[in-house]
Amino acid sequence: MDIVDILSSKPVLIGLHLGFAIVGIDAFLWLLGKLKDDGGSQKSMMVTAAVGVVAFIASWFAGGYYYVVYYGVLVKPVIKSGVAPWVHNIVMETKEHIFLFVIPLAMTVFFITLLTREEIEQLKLKRVTLWLAGAVAMLGLLIGAMGFMISAAARWGAIN
Amino acid sequence: MNINKQKLIISSAYAAIITIVFVVVITIWAELSVPLKTWLANFSGHHWTSKSIFSALLYTVVTIILYWLPQKEVDDYLARALNFLLAFTALGTIIITLFFTGHHFKIF
Repeated sequence: MDIVDILSSKPVLIGLHLGFAIVGIDAFLWLLGKLKDDGGSQKSMMVTAAVGVVAFIASWFAGGYYYVVYYGVLVKPVIKSGVAPWVHNIVMETKEHIFLFVIPLAMTVFFITLLTREEIEQLKLKRVTLWLAGAVAMLGLLIGAMGFMISAAARWGAIN
Repeated sequence: MNINKQKLIISSAYAAIITIVFVVVITIWAELSVPLKTWLANFSGHHWTSKSIFSALLYTVVTIILYWLPQKEVDDYLARALNFLLAFTALGTIIITLFFTGHHFKIF
């Protein structure tokens, strides 16, 4: 088994998907704190937002590969025949599509961090930027909670 | 103040709104139309991969096009564009959730 086989194995893909998503969520929560308390330099805000965007893109690739290659063949049938088939029909379907909102939203927040604090204040963007950074983190958390429900439905589907 | 950064933000905000509308429309349409879902699946091998490719391309291309278009009085529109983006994100999330809930219960 080489490194590619290990990286593309099911548990590692799920770990990478979740791990990168956690980094993305944390980065945007951190950015939210910096924006709210006027802490850190403009460069640090830019780097924090960039780390968040890159992490969400990495999560998208790892999760997307797992979803396309393994989920439909191996996991979906277990959930559909298990104790909570609605988890695929409602939770998974919703999760996989609202995930597509995250990158454009996070990129827009990143572009706002290219402005200086003075420019953000002058343009009256602080409040809406706080909301947007919070929305990215909240969407990430919501998607994470949905992922947990999907994993639990598959586990209980397999047990029963 | 750097006008190019403001143009980039406003272009990205409107491109993100268009991408969200695209994802909502193509998702609901494909669930209700078998030929469209089949076409999406055939395009890349999976309907979700096709939606991912199209949404990433749409966001990138629209951002670039809007950035290069002449924009007047960007200051006035910036906060409004970002507020619209926030509203469309919330609306898109609610519509997708309600659609799949209703679809599961065979309401539509």
